[in-house]
Amino acid sequence: MAYAYLFKYIIIGDTGVGKSCLLLQFTDKRFQPVHDLTIGVEFGARMITIDGKQIKLQIWDTAGQESFRSITRSYYRGAAGALLVYDITRRDTFNHLTTWLEDARQHSNSNMVIMLIGNKRTQSAFPWTGIICIYSHKLTSLSAIFENVDLESRREVKKEEGEAFAREHGLIFMETSAKTASNVEEAFINTAKEIYEKIQEGVFDINNEANGIKIGPQHAATNATHAGNQGGQQAGGGCC
Amino acid sequence: MSSVPHGKTWRKSKKTVKVTRSYPTFPSLNAWEEFRGLFPVDQEPNPGVGLGVEEGLLCQVVHSPEFNLFPNSVVFESNFVQVKRGRNWRDIYKASYTMALGVTSSVPCLPLPNILLMASVKWHQGQSQTWNRPSTAPNIFLKRILPLKFVELQVCDHHQRILQLRTVTEKIYYLKLHPDHPETVFHFWIRLVQILQKGLSITTKDPRILVTHCLVPKNCCSPSGDSKLVQKKLQASQPSESLIQLMAKGESEALSQIFADLHQQNQLRSSKKVEINKNSSGRDSSREDSIPCTRDLRWRASFTYGEWERENPSGLQPLSLLSTLAASTGPQLAPPIGNSI
Repeated sequence: MAYAYLFKYIIIGDTGVGKSCLLLQFTDKRFQPVHDLTIGVEFGARMITIDGKQIKLQIWDTAGQESFRSITRSYYRGAAGALLVYDITRRDTFNHLTTWLEDARQHSNSNMVIMLIGNKRTQSAFPWTGIICIYSHKLTSLSAIFENVDLESRREVKKEEGEAFAREHGLIFMETSAKTASNVEEAFINTAKEIYEKIQEGVFDINNEANGIKIGPQHAATNATHAGNQGGQQAGGGCC
Repeated sequence: MSSVPHGKTWRKSKKTVKVTRSYPTFPSLNAWEEFRGLFPVDQEPNPGVGLGVEEGLLCQVVHSPEFNLFPNSVVFESNFVQVKRGRNWRDIYKASYTMALGVTSSVPCLPLPNILLMASVKWHQGQSQTWNRPSTAPNIFLKRILPLKFVELQVCDHHQRILQLRTVTEKIYYLKLHPDHPETVFHFWIRLVQILQKGLSITTKDPRILVTHCLVPKNCCSPSGDSKLVQKKLQASQPSESLIQLMAKGESEALSQIFADLHQQNQLRSSKKVEINKNSSGRDSSREDSIPCTRDLRWRASFTYGEWERENPSGLQPLSLLSTLAASTGPQLAPPIGNSI
């Protein structure tokens, strides 16, 4: 399907905060509790609709390990949006945000939209809840309640702190859960909306590829009226 | 040998990068010599293209406006079927899914490839999966880019033409060269595996290989090995690639940290109960295939610095390995004097 624009996103943040889980949830609508450490770049893509226009998000999921940092820097180029992720149950991942932000500012274009994400990455303290989910969908909500209680008890970064950091540095902010998919759609789509608004305001020069925006082959409006899910781009199996 | 894929299009779909191209009609692909013998030196088409290992679908995706990655680097690629070990090798996915595997260089003048590319390919139902000239372009999704330093390639089963690809994070893929590829193509992969493991000292020393062109102007390659000067020039002329060069840095320093983190992660995994998401519906996440066949990690030593790097301290060489790969595939495949690269 043709698209009006392609936006390049990059997902950054400390290792283990759930960057790959967020991507998988957004593109495939599934959660994988155990994920291989990312090395290099993993790609994902999905179509969304904003203002009646089809927009393709090309998402670069990067390695979060400190030791890969110099490699990750090479991927910032040409990104229109960045998702800067920390884990609300790990204070250190929040403390490292400044470093990530410095890297992002230094190696990307100045107009790049950055969404700060406080992700709930924590595993459930009730191992049997997953089993219950398999056998009884009715009990799923019960396990979610347990989990939320559990998460809140282990929260190390208050939501207000995330909001304050975002305000101070001019970022958008959301708390998400890659596991329950809470706010995951919104995080990706709101970032795209912000980029789209900048295009409309003429902030982005869309003819300059360094801005991470490409004009699609057919810049035509579609009938869609709402921003939202257009289905996973890479869903449906396939290798690697 | 620069790669300028033809037929690149900007026609994309919701789910895919559609690639269309026209292919020259070649005779049967059964002998390398045929290509060399058929055409005069100065007009010789690229045999790699005919064999489907250059300017293929993966190359076109990577070089497409959508990605625009490593635009001046050649991509060596083939079509594979992902299999798993058992009593016999078994395909993991439906026949309509294959994997495109390729190597390239983040900077074209590197003597060896340093990037591994992986893409999943979905063929149309009943479509012939002929890699070098498909009747209709399949849907191809670029999945990942891995620095080759974090990957080990081995020939796993010569008879079945299966490669083993192991990442530093212990993810293992068994990849069977697609049956539509001629035997020559598997020889190229064997050669590549050897080169990646043992280095390629012949890159600039083998007298059989006549260097007929040079990606890097001679005055750009300082004989004293002043790579800083060269890199500076490259940065000025190719800003889009200058950052990619960063990838070459920091890889070796990453290793010790990776191992430490892996150890931590393994401990974490063993203490975790695997929880199944209600939406996952048992979809294969290839965990089974990520279990290494051996815990012997001595091979990791090869990640630090390859032999070729020690032999090429300046870091920049005038001839890309990708050009020499075919030329040095062996006397049975190549005439004594390289008259074609």
